[in-house]
Formats: sequence, structure tokens, C-alpha cells
Amino acid sequence: MNAQNKPELRELSYAEAIREAMDIALEDDPSVLLMGEDIGVYGGAFQVTGDLVDKYGTDRVLDTPISELGGAGVAVGAALTGLKPIFEFQFSDFAALAMEQIVNQAAKVRFMLGGSVSVPLVMRFPAGSGTGAAAQHSQSIEAWLGHVPGLKVVQPSTPEDAKGLLLAAVADPDPVMIFEHKILYKMKGHVPEGYYTTPIGKAAVRRAGKDVTIVATSIMVHKAMETAEKLSADGIDAEVIDLRTVRPMDRDTVLDSVRKTGRLVCVYEGVKTLGVGAEISAMVAESDAFDFLDAPIVRLGGAECPIPYNPELEKAVVPQVPDISAAVRDVVQGRV
Amino acid sequence: MPVEVIMPKVDMDMASGKIMCWHVAVGDTVEKGDPLFDIETDKAAMEVEAPASGILQHAAPEGSEIPIGKAIAWLYAEGEEVGEQPDSFASVDDNKMPEQQPKAATEPAFGDTNLPPEPAPERETALAGDAGEGVRATPAARRLARDGGVTLAELRGTGPRGRVQASDVRQYLKDLDTVSARATFLPETGALNVTYSKRGEGTPIVMIHGFANDATSWAPLEPSLRHRPLIRIELPGHGKSPRLRIRDFAMLVREVRQTFDALQLDQAHLLGHSLGAALCIALADTREPRLASLNLIAPAGLGPQINGEALNGICKATRAESLGPWLRHLVADEDRITDGYVRLAMQARGDANLRAAQFAMADVLFPDGVQAFDLRAALQRIETPTRILWGKADAIIPWEHALQAPGRVALHLFDRIGHMPQLEAAEEVGKILRSHV
Amino acid sequence: MPESTQDTNLPYAIRAYSAERLRDALKKMYLVRKFEEGAEDSYMRGLIHGTMHLSIGQEASAIGSTMGLTDEDKITSTHRGHGHCVGKGADLGKMFAEFFGKETGYCKGRGGSMHIADPSKGNLGANGIVGGGLPIAVGAALSAKRLGTGAVTVCFFGDGANNEGAFHEALNMAAVWKLPVVFVCENNKYGMSTSTERSTAVKNIAERAAAYAMPGVTVDGNDFSAVTEAVDAAVARARAGDGPSLVENVTYRWRGHSKSDRNRYRTKDEINEWMGRDPIPAMAKLLMDHHIVTEDDVAAIEAEAEGIIKDAIEFATSGPDPKVEEVIRDVYTPEATA
Repeated sequence: MNAQNKPELRELSYAEAIREAMDIALEDDPSVLLMGEDIGVYGGAFQVTGDLVDKYGTDRVLDTPISELGGAGVAVGAALTGLKPIFEFQFSDFAALAMEQIVNQAAKVRFMLGGSVSVPLVMRFPAGSGTGAAAQHSQSIEAWLGHVPGLKVVQPSTPEDAKGLLLAAVADPDPVMIFEHKILYKMKGHVPEGYYTTPIGKAAVRRAGKDVTIVATSIMVHKAMETAEKLSADGIDAEVIDLRTVRPMDRDTVLDSVRKTGRLVCVYEGVKTLGVGAEISAMVAESDAFDFLDAPIVRLGGAECPIPYNPELEKAVVPQVPDISAAVRDVVQGRV
Repeated sequence: MPVEVIMPKVDMDMASGKIMCWHVAVGDTVEKGDPLFDIETDKAAMEVEAPASGILQHAAPEGSEIPIGKAIAWLYAEGEEVGEQPDSFASVDDNKMPEQQPKAATEPAFGDTNLPPEPAPERETALAGDAGEGVRATPAARRLARDGGVTLAELRGTGPRGRVQASDVRQYLKDLDTVSARATFLPETGALNVTYSKRGEGTPIVMIHGFANDATSWAPLEPSLRHRPLIRIELPGHGKSPRLRIRDFAMLVREVRQTFDALQLDQAHLLGHSLGAALCIALADTREPRLASLNLIAPAGLGPQINGEALNGICKATRAESLGPWLRHLVADEDRITDGYVRLAMQARGDANLRAAQFAMADVLFPDGVQAFDLRAALQRIETPTRILWGKADAIIPWEHALQAPGRVALHLFDRIGHMPQLEAAEEVGKILRSHV
Repeated sequence: MPESTQDTNLPYAIRAYSAERLRDALKKMYLVRKFEEGAEDSYMRGLIHGTMHLSIGQEASAIGSTMGLTDEDKITSTHRGHGHCVGKGADLGKMFAEFFGKETGYCKGRGGSMHIADPSKGNLGANGIVGGGLPIAVGAALSAKRLGTGAVTVCFFGDGANNEGAFHEALNMAAVWKLPVVFVCENNKYGMSTSTERSTAVKNIAERAAAYAMPGVTVDGNDFSAVTEAVDAAVARARAGDGPSLVENVTYRWRGHSKSDRNRYRTKDEINEWMGRDPIPAMAKLLMDHHIVTEDDVAAIEAEAEGIIKDAIEFATSGPDPKVEEVIRDVYTPEATA
């Protein structure tokens, strides 16, 4: 029996990984507390906090009233005065109600006060389409917050990063916004035991390739990987970059890849126009990597409409594997 | 409708040009492409070709200065009625640039041989084309073309709507790089390019430049020779001459001889450098009665040795970084070959077809780094007053070849000077030549 | 913190605070007044960039409401917050330096008049968003409760903010969680140009406390003693763990909303009437009536305040300007402190 020498890689779901990260944070640091609507006995709208309330009590797993603006503001105030709140929005869409506190307060307080304070605040946003929850419960709004200096914005795509980025966010002195894709909550993957962090601001090359760079975010990383595997059978060797952080964006990883492949396809679920892909594209176009481009940059993003209810329509308005596959082929084979 | 002949912009910062002379009299017919007039700008003098065939009318007087883009004459078709001058001549004062400097201050300092030869103005136009304006190409293709000295316009793009892609440029460069450069060499036909400076008087000097060079290489020497009319012949595959396929040295001599004959000169001094000097010897062998003197700078053809590696290196270089080290073989004082000089030289070599033509020519004339032609016997036969000028630090052709010359040939040997005395010892070479031509 | 309670016939402030504290309070009221007059003067001379919101006429509310606070206690302030800063012990030189946009200012020239803060003294900062500080104050109170610091947060806001959604959410949460926070509404009758009569359904804003099951009281905000009495009681209740309160200080701003105000919404008579109820002479009279100061003492206190302001302006004007190349320095916390 030498199974102990070669332990099976431990697998957790994305939601479990986040819960484990919060558990570790609560355990390690008494100033950490969870705030949000129905995160206590209910366990969170997506059962991410689960039974943490049993372990840490209602003071540290604090159910807020349905008050997104007030709740976010309380989290900001608490973060300014010695606590490290992890604030959960039920749906990222509801951030619109709290925009004042996120954008005018959390992001700006440090700057406005000449650097005399920090706001060690973590906010979690269950995001994305695919659940049939329609227009007000399915958006991907990371680009809104990515536009605000003072915030950091991350989008983990794997259980391992979901835990690592959350722990990195808790350790970070500044407000970190975490966009979690709802469809990924049940996805299983290897998650290391214990405490570790995934660096904020660092993209990951998920698959090395030489013909084309696919920069993807969140759930689109998986669709890009699936596409890349399919295309490799046809001799197209795609490099897949998981952007992981929207702000600050990992310029070096993206530019290095584009210098190597000469082709760029951006895939993200948020609305295509003025989205994350626009920034990635502009970053390349403004850099010396531009001179390595051998085909027009292509962006695949959400359609110019709210997320619809009908399941076929819902699928149609965000990039799917066949869309990515066709776009990558066109770029590599010189059809655009 | 008569065709307007305009004062062309031939220089980056040129605002106006002066008409030095008309090659065609008013009322005479000119063919499109024939020399029509000479202009002088504050930087250079040059010949301008007729933009169309026709009968020259209403020509602006010689010596007049006209702003660029303005009419200086009109060409009428056969039988077309010639009425009033369609438009009056624009005067320079109309759009004189306030910062225009007095002419004397900008007279080209040819005495200063540190200056690289000015690239021919026509080439600047060609360079604008090299930048790929109007050519559909990806940024990567443009970068590779820029680095490789390739003109995008000469590439066939395989991308959508004919877009030139990186792979197109890479393939093109790869083809160039192989010994079978002839595969990508697109031979042309036509007469060799001849340029004139007609200010001087008396017996003209006909000048033939060396291999992988062009007419601009005479620039450092020209101030010493301006008392005579100067006629520069550009070799096939060099400068603005057509990229002819040269099969052997005899064919090259034929091309040069035809060009010389077409000049219809009663008497001429011949001045040649390196391969050009070899051609002067060959020309003298058949046209001796019309030659007043033969002036040979580091002539080829007097021995088998030649630095084939350097010639090959210059032919193959597609960027300044690879050209520079070989250019430094040309001189004794390497400091003369500045980065700017190399860059300009590479710009002059930007046309890949030019490089391909020269590569093919080198393969014929200097196979395996050996001079495949021998003019020692010819030199023995020639009685025209002849002098040989050679740098004793020549790293391309050994100067000792000069010792093959018969006793009546004057030898001028320079210490610490390389293959290009006309560049490195321009003043001294100029003085010697001036006292004889 | 109140110090004694012997003679119940005396006004609260006289009973609760030592002569020294009361003289200091009078000095602070003068400092607020003279700071703002100095600021206004500098503005007129073109020395100050941007706008400012002056609280001249409201000094009793600001200084009275902060009398019972320690440096551990927090405040959140408003765009009309100079008085709150002085009440919380701010340095006038650094305040002026911030006004002049200097690197030596409280916010190193990044915040200006509307964001003066001094976290070391518990001043979490003024806020340019009406109602922006309300939930933040609740968060500070949550921290105090969670961390057991015993600190109380005083949340200043104006009559305008009481109609923001944040007011409802913040007061409700503070009450639900019984947090140590005191909501001090400085009702100066107008949210910019719109009077409370035209904007607010209840007569007194304090009545809204009933909706959150917390005490609510309306006092004359120009009466220093009345303000301290009401706020101190609310602070004591908060400190005792009995939860939040709402205190409404009815007062009046003599100047316009900001420097661009043309004063078209109120009458000269109304302004004059309120100027007749100047809280500073009233405070001086209170102290003289109770033999805490003489007339000469008052003059000396005023002169001292003037001297402090003069020195503060000198400190501010001589300070270095921020470096343009450092403009983004304080957007994020440097890695080293992470």
C-alpha cells in the first residue's frame, strides 16, 4: 500500500473551493467577516457560503437586509475601520444598486484621502448567463468595474484559482471584485489543500501554441480550450490564455504570446462593444506587438442585447465553441 | 488638350526648382520617357523625363525658378492646335517658404567624404512605395519587409483580398537567400540609365561605377570634375538601370558599349571604378579612337583574386545590420562607414529585384570568388593615356594587380586607403584626375 | 465626554464640561468661522481652485456634536464638513494646505475641500456624495462592535441626505444590528435650493427615527448646550450597547450652497433673521453668564483663533505642490504593505 506516496489529486467544485477559501480566511483572521443576503442559514443563493454560519456564527456570517447599496457601504465602512469584509452579491446584476458605494467610495477613498487609508474589501459577484434567469440575473459586468481605477477585478475560471484568487483578494489591501461564473460553481477540479494564493494581475497560459493566441475570460476559457483541442486535430495550434484578472491586466503575458503567434482572438461573455476584448485588442494595437500581427484581431463577445430567456436565444447571444472554432479558423487560415 | 509638364518635387524639402536646360527645342517632338529638361534644386541637379510624347510648347525659359507642381511647359499632340499659353508661369515668390535658405549655404558639401552619397531623389519616391502605401499587408508582413529591405508592392499577397502576410514575405526572403536567387529574379529589358551634369565644358567625362554600387557613388569626386560635362552610366541591375539578365562579361561589355555609342560623343574621358574600370578597359579595346584618356580606380580584370565573400555578403544583405560589416571591407578607415551611411546604402538596395539581379550577375562574373574575365592583354594593347589609382589597403581586389600594367600606364598608389579611393581620398584623387581631364 | 452633573438648574453644557473644555469649544467655533472666512477670502482672491461649501452659522452643531467624542470615536462627514474636522481636532494648517491643493494637506492635494479627513483622529472623511457617508458610518460602527473597541461613530448628514435611499438602508441596518452609531442630521433647511418643506414628507426629520425603532430628537442646532445635551445622550446610549439614535440639529447656513449659489430661493429677511441667531456670540454669552470667561477673555480667544488661522494660511501657502508625476501614487496600496 503505497497510495500515500501518490495521493489522488484532491478535487473540489468551484463553489466548494470558494467556500474553503472563505473558511480558511475566517479561521486565520478574526477581522474577516462574510456579509451578504441570505448567506447564513440559507447558505447563499448558490450555496457558496453553505454551512459556514454553523462554524462561525451569525456575527461573522452576517445576513444583510435586501439593501445592496447600504450593505456595500457598510462593508466599505467596516473595511476602513479594521474589518476585512467579504461581501456577496446574490447576482452581479445587483451591483447596479450599489454602484455608488463601489465606484465613488470603495474605489476612491484611498486616493481622495491622499493614501492615508486602504479599503481591504472583497466583493463576490455571481455572474454570467446559462441559467435561464434572463436579463436582470445573467449579466457579465466585469468591464464596468474594470473601468474604475482603485478597484481590482478578477475572474477565476477554475476551482484552484477560485480559491487562490479569493485568498489573494483577502490578503490584498485594496478592494478586489471577484466575478464568479454561476455555471462554473458545480465544475470540479484539482484544488490544493491549505492556504495558497493565486497572484492578482497575472494571466495563465492554459495551453501553449504557435498559430494563434486566444485570450479568454471566465467560462470562455473552457470553451476556448475545447476549441483548441478540436482544432489541433486539423493542425491548428492555438495558445489559450486565461486572463484571470481584468484590472490590472497582464500585459506581458498577452503581448509575449501575440509576438509569438501573430494572431489574436479575444473571447469573453460580456457585451462585445467596449468590453474586456476591446481593452486587450487596444493593448496589443498600442504596443510593439502590433508589428507582429499577421491577421486582424477578432473579438467574440456577448451580443448587443440583454440576455434573453429562451434557452436557444440565451445560448446564441454568447460565444459558443462552434463560434470560437470558426473565428479561429478564419484568422489562422487568412479568411478575415 | 495639351499635357502639362510640371516642376516635379524630387527632394523631401524642395519648394521650387530651377530649369537648367531643355533637351528639346520648342516645336520639337519628344517621346515619353526621353530626357526633357534638367533641373537644379538647392541640393542636386537632375534630369527629368518627358511625362508624355508630344511637341514641346510654351516652355519656361532656362534659368527660371518655378514652384513644385506648377507648369513649366506643355506637350501637344501631333496636329493639335497651339494657341495661347494655357496658364502663366507661377513665380517662386507666390509661395516662397519664409525659412528658405540662401543657396550657397546649402551647396552640397561633396568635399566632406564623411557624408554618405545622397540617395538619388527618384529612389526616395521609390522608398515611399516601399513603405507599402496602398498595399494591403499585415503589420507583421510590413515589419518583416522593412527589416528585409523588401518592397511590399513587389510581393504577391496570399491573404484575403490579396493581403500580404508574414508567410509571403518569409517565403520571398527565403527564395532570395538561396543560391538559386535566379528563381526569384525577374529580368527586365531596356537601355541603361544615363544621367548628366552639363554644366562643364569641353570633352565630357563618362563615368562607370563599380559592382553593387550606382551613379551616386561618384558624388564625392564630382566637385573636382565639374569643369567638364559629366555623364554617368549605371550598370544593368544597378541604380535605375533595368535589371537585365547578364550571361557573361562579354554581354555586359556589349550593353555598356551600346550605351556609350548612343551618347554619340566624338571624344570622351573614361573614368571607371572596379568592375566599371574593367568595362572601361574593354570599351577602350574597341572604341579607342574616341577616348581622350582612361582613368581606372581599383580596376577588376587584372588578376584572378577578388573578395568573393564580401561581394556575396553585400548582395545578400537584406538589412542594415548585415550590410554594414561587409561595407566596412570597402574602406581602410572603417569609421567612414557610419550607421547613417549603411542605412542609406541599404535603402538604395531596398529593391529585392535589384539585389537578385546583382546576385545573379556576381554568380556569372565572379563565380566562387574568382574574376572570370581577364583584361591584362587588353590593357597591354591600349595606347590611350591611362592611369590607375589604387588604395594599398584594398580588401576587395589586391592592389598588386596594378603591377600587371605596362610601363606607360601611370600608377597612383595610396597608403592606408581601401577599395574606394574616390571616397576615402576624394580630394587627392580629384586633384590627380582634374590635372589630366 | 461629560465630566460632571452637579446642579441640574444649570444648562447641560455648563454642568457637563470643565471651563477649560468650554473655552476650547468656543475657540474651535471661532476657528471654524475664521477658517471659512479665510477660505472665502482666498477664493475671492483667486487663490483657491474649485468650489467650497461653507458652514458659517452652523458652528454650534459641529462643535457641540463632537464634544463628547474621543480620538477613538469615528465621524463621517459631509461636503459641508470643515466644522466637523475642527471638532475632531484637525490641524488648521493641514486643512488650509489641502484647500490650497498642497502635498502638505490632509489629502496631499488629492481631495480638496470636500474630502478632508484625518483617520488618525477618527475622522473618516467628508463625502462629496449626499448620503455617501451614511452606510460607511454604519460599517465603522459594525467594526467597533465586532472588534469590541467601544468606539462610537457620529454620522453627520444634511437634510438633503435624509431623502436618499442610503439613509433608509443605513438607519435600518444600524437599528437591526444595534450598532453604536449616532446619526446627526444638520438640518439647515435647504438641500441646495429645495427647502425641507418641499422635499421632505415629515415636519421634523427626527420623526423618521420611529421607522427604525430608534430615539429621535430635534434640537436648536445653534444652541451649543442643547446640541451637546442631545448628542451626548445618544453617544452614551450607543456606547452602552443600546443602539443608534437620530439627532436633528436645526440650523442655517448663512452663505449659499456653494460658491456658485445666487441665493434666489430664500429671502434677505430670512437670512438676516438667522444671522441674528449667530451661535458664536450665543456661546460666548453662555460662558460669560456662567462666569467661565470675561469679555476680555472672549476677545483674547477670538484673537488667538485669528492668529492660528494666520499661521495656518502661511503654513499652507509655503507648502510644496504635489508632483504631477506622482498623481497616481495613492490609487492602490503599495505592495510592501500588502
